[in-house]
Amino acid sequence: MSEKKGLYGIWLVVLGILILLGLYTALKLFIEGHGLFNTNDVILWSLPLGVYIFLALTSSGLTLLAGVPLVLKVKKYEPFAKRLVFLSIATLMGAFVAIGLELGSVQHMFWVFFSPNLSSPIWWLALIYSVELVVLIVKFWRMHKGDWHSSFSNTLGVISFLLAMIAPLMIGSIFGITESRVTYFGPMMSIYSLVLGLLSGTALFLLYSMIFHRVTGDGDVERQTSLYNEFTVIFAYIASIAVVFSLVKFAIESATTVPEFLIYHKFEHAFGAWQGFHFEVLLGLFLPFLLLLIPSVRRSVGGKTVTSGLILVGTLMMHMEILLAGQSHPVGPKAEQYPEFISYFPSIWEWLVFVFALAVMLLLYTLGERYLKLMEVPQ
Amino acid sequence: MSRYAMVIDLQRCVGCGSCSIACRNENNVPDGIYWSNKITETVGTFPNVRHHYIPTLCNHCEYAPCVRGCPTKAMHKLDNGITMHDPKKCIGCKYCEFNCPYGVIYFNWKEPHQFWKSNKVLLKGGTSSPQEEVEKIGAKKTPYFNPERGATLPASRPKGVVEKCTFCDHRVRKGLLPRCVEACPANARIFGDIKAPDSDVTKLLGKFRPFRLREQLGTNPHVFYVRDFNPAQYRPTKGGV
Ligand code: SF4
Ligand code: SF4
Repeated sequence: MSEKKGLYGIWLVVLGILILLGLYTALKLFIEGHGLFNTNDVILWSLPLGVYIFLALTSSGLTLLAGVPLVLKVKKYEPFAKRLVFLSIATLMGAFVAIGLELGSVQHMFWVFFSPNLSSPIWWLALIYSVELVVLIVKFWRMHKGDWHSSFSNTLGVISFLLAMIAPLMIGSIFGITESRVTYFGPMMSIYSLVLGLLSGTALFLLYSMIFHRVTGDGDVERQTSLYNEFTVIFAYIASIAVVFSLVKFAIESATTVPEFLIYHKFEHAFGAWQGFHFEVLLGLFLPFLLLLIPSVRRSVGGKTVTSGLILVGTLMMHMEILLAGQSHPVGPKAEQYPEFISYFPSIWEWLVFVFALAVMLLLYTLGERYLKLMEVPQ
Repeated sequence: MSRYAMVIDLQRCVGCGSCSIACRNENNVPDGIYWSNKITETVGTFPNVRHHYIPTLCNHCEYAPCVRGCPTKAMHKLDNGITMHDPKKCIGCKYCEFNCPYGVIYFNWKEPHQFWKSNKVLLKGGTSSPQEEVEKIGAKKTPYFNPERGATLPASRPKGVVEKCTFCDHRVRKGLLPRCVEACPANARIFGDIKAPDSDVTKLLGKFRPFRLREQLGTNPHVFYVRDFNPAQYRPTKGGV
């Protein structure tokens, strides 16, 4: 028991140090600007934005999953509901940290609301996620107070569910409506974002639950075995949709003769590729999907942990690959200043933004688990 | 209300880059940023090669993707068709830069004009530092600093926001020509109101078959190119050169 307490203390100290480091990074960025990033006027959006997209979509995925017991009223999943809502809030907070530092100023984040442009998907995204955060917090508070199914609480659940469905479509449209960058696949990007959000949300919940039960040893995982097993089947279904999308994407990429794709093919992919298939897709999606088809893997704690872990890392890498591929070559006259193809590796400051976002998220998870009874079910 | 447009006569353009230098001076454009730029292209295989030069700037598109996507309306259209930027509203999201199909928007990654703040000298006791130079001239920020740019936009834009060509809106509203038009030694740039039937721009567009960059995207750019700089000749024969 005291050993566990000691480890818990160390864990909090580590998170504290990482958050202090993150605050220092924020200060440095606010003072010196984004020259600290390994970005330029070709690669404009880099790791911090990729992390934002990943965490925001994951949060939407978690909210959609929470909607299964809370909105669609599938009661047997109620033991997961409170934790899902809480993880969604904490993950969204991590996303806000990443986007705040990507914008380089907190005041910029708020300024969005004072001069709205309704034709901008970024404006809608900012609005949706801000409202989503407030709605989720209120919903969680109601649940914490034991009010799961009053009409007010239900309305909050429905609103958050709908917002979580729209937000990924909006993220996708930021890329999809960009006429100048055909590698973003137009309207398909929105559906792809929704699928990846659901996938990473499911993966995060599964991974989190497996690690949490292993670390705390509370035996809950045994009590809920059948529930987790069913959940893993849902996970496999969502992964299968992502597999189909990735295959379609691969088919378009390899069959097209659009010049932007051809340039893109001349060079290495961000994380390498085999026969045109990106490694992050092979190892972070296809492999875990195949593993999930094996019943014994699906049923074991190890299998759940490995597959969800691979998919979680894989989705982040897939977001990064998509983000970078669309920006890898200079547009128009910028080709005069920059080479035909730009490679990118994050600077230490970009890594620190990533670490900061994760640390905030993990600290919230830890405190939430400790003080907020996340496995509670309605009376 | 006028609708401004520019015609660039590629037959007259000699590719000297005066437009870009003049623009830089007029608008206090920092290093690494190009409001006025160019696309160069070499075609053919040696010894049959040719160099092509297309001057570029913001096209002041009618359906500007940069304006459509800007979350705060920092990038906006003026009634005269100019695509204008307001750094005070800009949150530095770079979506306009991401969206512009013409690669004419740049981001201020660092505090601009840092070079001129340096007190490093090349030869001690021999040369002056950039900072000393600015002080001795009594200039602000850079030796060539133009305060008139500040009439409609911060004369020098801060870090964390984007910037791009404004068709020299601060000059145009005083009835002057954009600085690049004035500076072009070959008179290759023609500027005016595309709505006025007797403007030079309108006349030229009716005289030649103009083209615009990436027209197929439907942005309706308002920078037009006419003719081509190509004095090459070849003897007419049947089926040969
Ligand atoms: S050229 Fe680019 S910056 Fe200029 S109006 Fe068109 S889209 Fe906007
Ligand atoms: S960088 Fe500034 S001008 Fe460009 S889209 Fe963002 S807020 Fe608008």
